[in-house]
Amino acid sequence: MTDATAPSPRGTEELEGTVFDIGYQRYVGPREGRNRARWAVYKDGLRLALGLGRGARAKVIPWFFITLLGVIGLIMALIAGAVNTYIGPNAAEALDLPSHSDYYGIASIVFFVFAAVGAPEMLCPDRKDGVINLYLVRPLTGSDYVSARWLAFFTVMVSVAWLPQLILLAGLSLSNANPGDYLLENWLDIPRLLTAGLAMAAYTTSLAMFVASFTTRRAYASVFLVGLFVITAPFTTGLAAELAEDFENTAGQWVSMFNLSNIPVHVNDLIFDDVSLITSVAPAGEFSGWVLVGWYFLWTLVPAGLLWMRYRKLTP
Amino acid sequence: MSSVYLLTLRQLSGRWRLLVMSVLALMPVVLTESLVLFPSSVSVEEFELIVLNTMLAGSISPLVVLAIATVAFGNEVEDRTLANLTLAPIPRWQIVIPKLFATISVAMPFIAISALVTTHVAFNADATATLAVTVSIVAGLAMYASVFVFLGLATNQAIGVGLLYIVLWEGFFTTYVSGVRVFSIRAYSLALMHGLDERRFADTDNLGFGVAIGVSAVVFVGFVLLTIRRLRRMDVP
Amino acid sequence: MTNNAEPVIRVDHVSRWFGSVVAVSDVTFDIKPGITGLLGPNGAGKTTLLRMITGLADVSDGAVTVFGQPIRNNHALFGRIGVMSEHETVYGFMKGRDFVKIMGRLRGVSDLDAAVDRAIELVDLMAAADRPMGTYSRGMRQRMRLAATLVHDPEILILDEPLNGADPVQRAHFQDLLRRFAAEGRTIVLSSHILEEVEQVADTVLLIVNGKLAASGGFRAIRAALDKRPYHVRVVSDSPRELAAALVTLDSVDAVHIDPDGAIMVLSSNVRVLQIELPLRADAASIRLFRVEPMDDSLESVFGYLVEG
Repeated sequence: MTDATAPSPRGTEELEGTVFDIGYQRYVGPREGRNRARWAVYKDGLRLALGLGRGARAKVIPWFFITLLGVIGLIMALIAGAVNTYIGPNAAEALDLPSHSDYYGIASIVFFVFAAVGAPEMLCPDRKDGVINLYLVRPLTGSDYVSARWLAFFTVMVSVAWLPQLILLAGLSLSNANPGDYLLENWLDIPRLLTAGLAMAAYTTSLAMFVASFTTRRAYASVFLVGLFVITAPFTTGLAAELAEDFENTAGQWVSMFNLSNIPVHVNDLIFDDVSLITSVAPAGEFSGWVLVGWYFLWTLVPAGLLWMRYRKLTP
Repeated sequence: MSSVYLLTLRQLSGRWRLLVMSVLALMPVVLTESLVLFPSSVSVEEFELIVLNTMLAGSISPLVVLAIATVAFGNEVEDRTLANLTLAPIPRWQIVIPKLFATISVAMPFIAISALVTTHVAFNADATATLAVTVSIVAGLAMYASVFVFLGLATNQAIGVGLLYIVLWEGFFTTYVSGVRVFSIRAYSLALMHGLDERRFADTDNLGFGVAIGVSAVVFVGFVLLTIRRLRRMDVP
Repeated sequence: MTNNAEPVIRVDHVSRWFGSVVAVSDVTFDIKPGITGLLGPNGAGKTTLLRMITGLADVSDGAVTVFGQPIRNNHALFGRIGVMSEHETVYGFMKGRDFVKIMGRLRGVSDLDAAVDRAIELVDLMAAADRPMGTYSRGMRQRMRLAATLVHDPEILILDEPLNGADPVQRAHFQDLLRRFAAEGRTIVLSSHILEEVEQVADTVLLIVNGKLAASGGFRAIRAALDKRPYHVRVVSDSPRELAAALVTLDSVDAVHIDPDGAIMVLSSNVRVLQIELPLRADAASIRLFRVEPMDDSLESVFGYLVEG
């Protein structure tokens, strides 16, 4: 409490003031550059998204989602295992039970809500509390900041996408009498699920962070994002089914293209060359692969680009 | 009471918020309008499932209410202004009730007009059906408001928890696990609708009209009481 | 007004802990009409204590009564108390006058407009009353919050660090205001970590250190009591018995105990003299000293920090 190093001038009745050397020193250590600053923002983004280094309450929501997604993968693996055990070897495959190609479609809604809750955390508090200005007086530009944050959240989303798939893969191969044979036979699933996971994560991250860049209160960004994902589904499904009956098919197909939760799942279907459960009823699936992939890139790159534009010119 | 009510109205109205709510509220209207414009063979059941059940009662209404209700106490806790109210010589329920009614007043116009126009268009201006849908959707809104106002006071993760509840519980489980309907605001809301206009809506759910009225009241009042209790017990920041 | 003998606020063996952290530990005191200063370093537990006195926070143990009644959830009492919290946040969208008005209406003030004008005039902020509070400076926000605290003419005023952000002129003005309220027989509690702020207005000081009540009474009385109090000094040496015998004869030593571990505890009312005499005596008797440590330095150092810092 008391300042032991500074001698007190009290009691000496001196008129002129004295400045004591209390040992302030110039910083003499190494000065890191932009990359170090980017890396710091990236790392901080990872910690924010997962609630690391904060109290238990901050961890509840992200880890609940991660557990939930893992459980979905686990349940799919257990069902396949049970079928193989009780019905016969390779019965799961013969029955065409939900597998790697279906997982992203099934889990997509949980995945999207996780993004809707997590992405605003990356950007909104920094602007609300004015911390962004502190970042920008460092050797760090607006685009450095936003790309580091994007990458951080993308990293989290990719890991969260892959983890349950790997659980499923482990479950499927171990429930097989000969795990090595299973992997040899289905090795193609591995690059496929990795690529599809990247596609899911890139799309979700870009769209969610783009919306988050518009508001400083996380609540509104989250609600609006969930609204986009959850409501466009019945909206477009209803409208598309309706239009498909009356017009030549393309009108219904195009409406169905605006089902935001299906956009990356169509790409997933192309990667696996298999229609997943949730897209099997979407008329958009009848479009050629190129249109679907182009549409996906449009919805990923445009929000990402606009997000970058919003932050590019930011100065403290 | 009117002071807290008016204060909360000011806190809840913001341009962004009103815009987002308008967009959400417009969706079922646009969808229904296009269903009617293009002659088609959508059955009442299909219309009910897609527009009334999934969109209005299950997504739009809770999402709009969530965005507003969690702010009613949430912003005061976050900004540490709640003590201004709790230090007034008024009982706690006189803080909770006006805040809840302010939430309902802000959310209701959007949802009620959306429900009204949607059903009016869909059912060829049938007054009974329009009234049944509007009343039941508004009753659902009041229940959601009661739950989310509590959530905003009970946790600072209200949005995350609320979204999980809407998407997983009301969206996923209520649709696919029929037993969950006994504990679902969306299901109560639909049961009220069925009860109010039995002629038009086939009675497909397992809740009766009387039970629906009873549990709706219990949910609404129950969460009001929980909120009051929470406000009495918490350390006001 | 309240009888002078009757305490207005009674804090009775109050403790408050958050998990394993004890913020306030078994504190007991009474507050009578007049100005009481709650003094202590940052983090000493002043705010927690004030929050329990206002009923905003619950006690973990003990009881707080105001006008003889428990305060927690006793909303009828709140109308007689004015509280200004440490948080400087306001409803930014609201005009200053509207804020004071709504606070007055919530507290059931009759003739509201006159009361609002009077309160705003008291803090000398009429000119800015019709601007949104989001545009105020820090000092103005504090003053408008003070106006809202005063609007219902409370008998008890509880002010947590009220002078944060005030310039010297406002500070003097504010202190005049407090003295006037005290002269009217009101009870005022204000907290601060700066002794000067408290010393100039408070009749009584409560010194809080590490969640405990370390001293109470008039400022000068505390100082005098601190000077009179014997110091405990622990001395470790190679021959404690001889050293004890040598020390007892000193004027600066009141008593000497020998602890079972061989260390001796010296009680001294004049520690400055002891500082000089102890090594001399030890040297004369060829006794080696290993350690000489003052045991209860903390209160003195805290007080010194508050006085000088």
